[in-house]
Order: sequence, then C-alpha cells, then structure tokens
Amino acid sequence: MIGDKSCAEIRRRLAHSPERVFAAFASADLVQRWLTPSPEIRLSVLQFDFREGGSYRFAYHVQGTTTVIVAGSFSVIKPPSKIVFSWVIEPPDEHAGIQSEVSVAIRPERTGSELVIRHEKLGRADAIERHATGWRGAVDHLTELLAPEEQHVR
Amino acid sequence: MAMYSRPALDLTFHALADGTRRSMIHALAKGETRSAGELGRQFRSAQPTISKHLKVLEEAGIVERKVEGRVHQFRLRRKGLEQAGRWIGRHQAFWEGAVDQLDRLLAEGTSDDRR
Repeated sequence: MIGDKSCAEIRRRLAHSPERVFAAFASADLVQRWLTPSPEIRLSVLQFDFREGGSYRFAYHVQGTTTVIVAGSFSVIKPPSKIVFSWVIEPPDEHAGIQSEVSVAIRPERTGSELVIRHEKLGRADAIERHATGWRGAVDHLTELLAPEEQHVR
Repeated sequence: MAMYSRPALDLTFHALADGTRRSMIHALAKGETRSAGELGRQFRSAQPTISKHLKVLEEAGIVERKVEGRVHQFRLRRKGLEQAGRWIGRHQAFWEGAVDQLDRLLAEGTSDDRR
C-alpha cells in the first residue's frame, strides 16, 4: 500500500473546478462531511479557523469505541491552489505527538482539477530539518525494505 | 505503549536520515550477517565512524548485534522498520478514503460550476 513514494501521497483527478475543490477544504461544514478515511468514522470539527496561522481540531469517532483527536494550524492558504497545515495526533494514540505536515495542491485541468495531497515530515520535525536532504531517500529505502519483492521492478 | 512508541519512531527516522546508515541497511537487507570490519571495508570509512553508525542503528532497533569473541556481528531486524511503515501506511489509507469521500461529496453537491 505504501508504493514507491517517499511520503503518503494521493493524486486524483476530479471533475470539478479548483474553486470548488478548494471550498471543500475551507469550511468546517464541508470538511466535516468528507475528511475521514471512511463513512464509518465520523468527524466532529471542534475548532476551525481557516486562515494562515489559524488552528483546527478534529475529533474522529471510530464506531462507538475510541475517539482520535487531530490538531494543527494552517501555515499556507492560497485560494484556490494551495493549503499547507500541520497535523498532530493527540494522546493516547500509538502515533501521538508526531509533528507531521499536509500539503494540498489543486491544479486546474482542462476538465476539472488535479488534487495532490502529500502527508510529509512523518518523523520528528527537528530531525527532518537537520537532515532535510536525507529525508526523501530515507523513506524510499524504508519502503524497499518493507516490500522487498518489488525491488527487481525498480 | 503510547509513551514508548513516539521515541521509538523518532529513533527510527533519525537512523534513516543519514545516507551512510541507509546504505548499511541496504547492505544488510538480504538478511545476511556482517561484521563491523566487513562493513567498514565496504564503506571505506574509519572503524570508529562505522561503529557510531551501527550504534545508532542498533538503538533504533533496526540492526541487532551479536558479539563473538572480539568480532561484532550485525544483522537487520525487519521488525525495527515495521512501526515506521505502519505510520506511513496509516496516512496513505486515511487520505485515499478521504479523497474518495470528497469526490462523492462534490458529485452530489450543487452543480453550479460543473462543465
């Protein structure tokens, strides 16, 4: 599932204008309706201040059992083409406290737009800054190791 | 568990953030055991440098060390990379699902700018 990417990356063509795709990220009401991994996981938007420097806080309700809280702040908002925000899962979660970053790029296409979501900096932020050049390769190697049967294709 | 796992993940990503260490992982990737001396010759590095890299990899749980007399043997622990892989995979799955739902939401929404 990890593929050959150096981070979690989704690239998708959508039959809608960049403005409409951007709008789906820009309001709590809309975000609440789609920003979850599956319809079984319900999102409550606890806080949503959609401006550069503004913060958000999401609660993900996993079918009556656990709630996972994700929080962060928006560092870049450029309608209708770019959004960057930090992404930190709160305790108690296996991955709590890791400072990661999500970049959303929306590009116009002849019939709609292309949406690219990259979830980066999946390690500790200060470590990444110290080793910025090593990062991309690091996860490439990691994925090779996790999927050794794919090595011959590369 | 939560208290343990973040530092572990930090150690993993720190260990992976260096080119020489990644090459060392690669050299051990087929599962064979290599001594510190063999690795030093392969990477044409001074033994103290190699020892330092191996220590970082060992602390991250990526390699394990077996001491046989004066020879230190190293082997890759695949488990050491599993947690980092799960963390990346978790977000890959998250966004795949979310974008599916975004696509559905946009399709059912008002078609004000549909072309």
